Amino acid sequence: MSQSNMLAMILAGGRGSRLKDLTNKVAKPAVYFGGKYRIIDFPLSNCANSGIDVVGVLTQYESVLLNSYVAAGRRWGLDSKDSGVFVLPPREKADEGFNVYRGTADAISQNIDFIDNYGPEYLLVLSGDHIYKMDYDKMLDYHKEMNADLTVGVRPVPWKEASRFGIMNTDGEGHITEFQEKPKEPKSNLASMGIYIFTWKALRKVLVADMKDPNSSHDFGNDVIPNFLNAGKTLVAYQFTDYWKDVGTIDSLWEANMDLLGSKSELNLNDQTWKIYTDDASTLPQYIGPEAEVDCAYITQGCRVDGLVRNSVLFTESVIGKGAKVIDTVLMPGVVVEEGATVTRALVAEGVRIGKGAVVGSSDSENILLVAKRVKGEE
Amino acid sequence: MAKAFGIITAASNRFRVEGLQDYRPAGSFSFAGRFRLIDFPVSNMSNSGIDRILVYISGNPRSLAEHLGTGRNYNINSKRGKLQLLFHDEGNINPIYNTDIACFMESLGIIDRIHQEYVVIAPCNMVYVMNYDELLGRHIESGADISLLYHRVDAVNDTYLGCNILNLNRQRGVHSIATNDGSAKERNIFMDTYVMKKDLFVHLVKEAASISSVYHLSQIVADKCEDLDIRGIHHKGYFAAITNLKSYYESCLALTDGEQSKTLFLPDWPIYTSTSDSCPTQYFKGSSVRNSLISNGCSIEGSVEHSVFGRGINVGKGAVVKNCVVLSYADIGPGVHVENQVIDKWAKIRRATEIISDPDKAPGYIRRDDML
Repeated sequence: MSQSNMLAMILAGGRGSRLKDLTNKVAKPAVYFGGKYRIIDFPLSNCANSGIDVVGVLTQYESVLLNSYVAAGRRWGLDSKDSGVFVLPPREKADEGFNVYRGTADAISQNIDFIDNYGPEYLLVLSGDHIYKMDYDKMLDYHKEMNADLTVGVRPVPWKEASRFGIMNTDGEGHITEFQEKPKEPKSNLASMGIYIFTWKALRKVLVADMKDPNSSHDFGNDVIPNFLNAGKTLVAYQFTDYWKDVGTIDSLWEANMDLLGSKSELNLNDQTWKIYTDDASTLPQYIGPEAEVDCAYITQGCRVDGLVRNSVLFTESVIGKGAKVIDTVLMPGVVVEEGATVTRALVAEGVRIGKGAVVGSSDSENILLVAKRVKGEE
Repeated sequence: MAKAFGIITAASNRFRVEGLQDYRPAGSFSFAGRFRLIDFPVSNMSNSGIDRILVYISGNPRSLAEHLGTGRNYNINSKRGKLQLLFHDEGNINPIYNTDIACFMESLGIIDRIHQEYVVIAPCNMVYVMNYDELLGRHIESGADISLLYHRVDAVNDTYLGCNILNLNRQRGVHSIATNDGSAKERNIFMDTYVMKKDLFVHLVKEAASISSVYHLSQIVADKCEDLDIRGIHHKGYFAAITNLKSYYESCLALTDGEQSKTLFLPDWPIYTSTSDSCPTQYFKGSSVRNSLISNGCSIEGSVEHSVFGRGINVGKGAVVKNCVVLSYADIGPGVHVENQVIDKWAKIRRATEIISDPDKAPGYIRRDDML
């Protein structure tokens, strides 16, 4: 807490059911992205790079893997004295029954004691399932400068898509005057990114009241922000225009991976001043064989390519056999594409084996094919 | 485990890798793209359950000290285990004084306080996979005083010049140790790896120091072939000795052979190193890469063939890199053609559009941080 007096809480409890089989066993923040990362590496690395020392991660759905993954704060350099990543699943408390988190705000409310231990002046609330690089310290500067009680990270979205988002209407000075959740007729195209900086004292009061409100859904968008607005608090919008993705579906997850292939990737994971940290694998570098053909690809260590890879992202230790073709495809860790097999426009889940000569996916499919089970090849 | 502690020695002063060694000790040499030579002996020890390790460093210690740190990357128990760096450099007087015995003499106090009964000694410039726990078991079972690890090499080439060779009797007793002068075809190359009791080790070190200030451990052990039961243990599997620039270059490139590298990187024998959190490597449209080992964080627009790349290397449009060992963060500009080179870290090649060395001779060497 030494540096910014801001504590971060990452909401990582959601399943992300539109990601289908990818989130059967793990929560969405633990889903793989970008060759070697998991989605939650992004908010965690952003915190570490922004000088935030204490991060609470609120988990709920299928949290075993996520809990053990984030608990090792060392990966993100969040392990010095007075620093750490703390896993906060729902827990039983002495004076009340055991409650799961009933909503995003409730997840914070149920951990007021944890936050009070550190007594921060500001609380940063984040989603664990967004992909972006952002300096929260700059956002905090803005929050202070504007004397705000709540600063909401917003980004302009295309007008025709605005009705899918929580929209912030602002006055000329960046003050939020109205919040509309998924409005039919949006008055603004500034969408909430689910990034909030609260002055903790102000939020704490609202949360304590919200917990007792039987009509509340205990949600930041539905309840807390309207409460703040009604109470006449100072709400400001902090505009962020760099790369940001909420990968809710197989298609959008695939697309976000493909975004890395362009000659100038907007996300730029090669930025030495803002690295994204993740688990380190003890593997060989990637090996590109004598007959391989690699054309426009994003490949990480431990992969072995003996066939053709075009417009594709290969995660740790995926193997492409001789004569195999991988085109417009994302292969998650440990995927094996055997000799002569062809994979097109697909997203192949961790550890899946695609048998010899098998043909999977097609170049003119409308949606991206999710391959989550072994595909048999020629015997 | 282990009844033994480990010692990793600096490479013998008989070896010198031209160019690279001006900037760092052998243990720091990049190997297989993302590793350094020291990672292999330390991982061997860690995987064998040895968690008390002394690493002797002579010459510029900065990079090696930074790389090893407290040893936490090597899966050494952070409470019970300890990786200790010991610096020694008398090379500024005269390199002949840079002996392993001189190093050991300086740290006899530390060695004395270690409670393990046995010691395993391995060098940093020989790359191999060895389960030292198993080696120690064989040593104890044989009843020998000292066991020496050797690798049988058929075609002795200049790589092994200056290495020690073991002359063995039929029972694998060592009857003499000699320096390889290149005269024989088939040899038992001594891997500078010893197993013995700590007390015997300390005794030998003291005796060697009293005989001569330029004595090496291998020399005092050779002197004892008559008096002690010294046996050779045959090592099979991957083995590379880094003794000069040519052997470094050849050993690196040999790993582009998938079958070779499989024998060094075994599924249940991880090689640890320190991560640099590089992103994956990007292959741009129009690039062409074949038969190469590429680390993360590279950006490749040109063509690469039969080469080994460290991290964060840029290859510009139309550039050709062939038969090269390229160390991290080197930058090979658009249209540049390099062949048969060892390109050191942070080198930037822009104006020299063609650098090609004779493939039958030692590779060319491009200096660290150099701008060409």
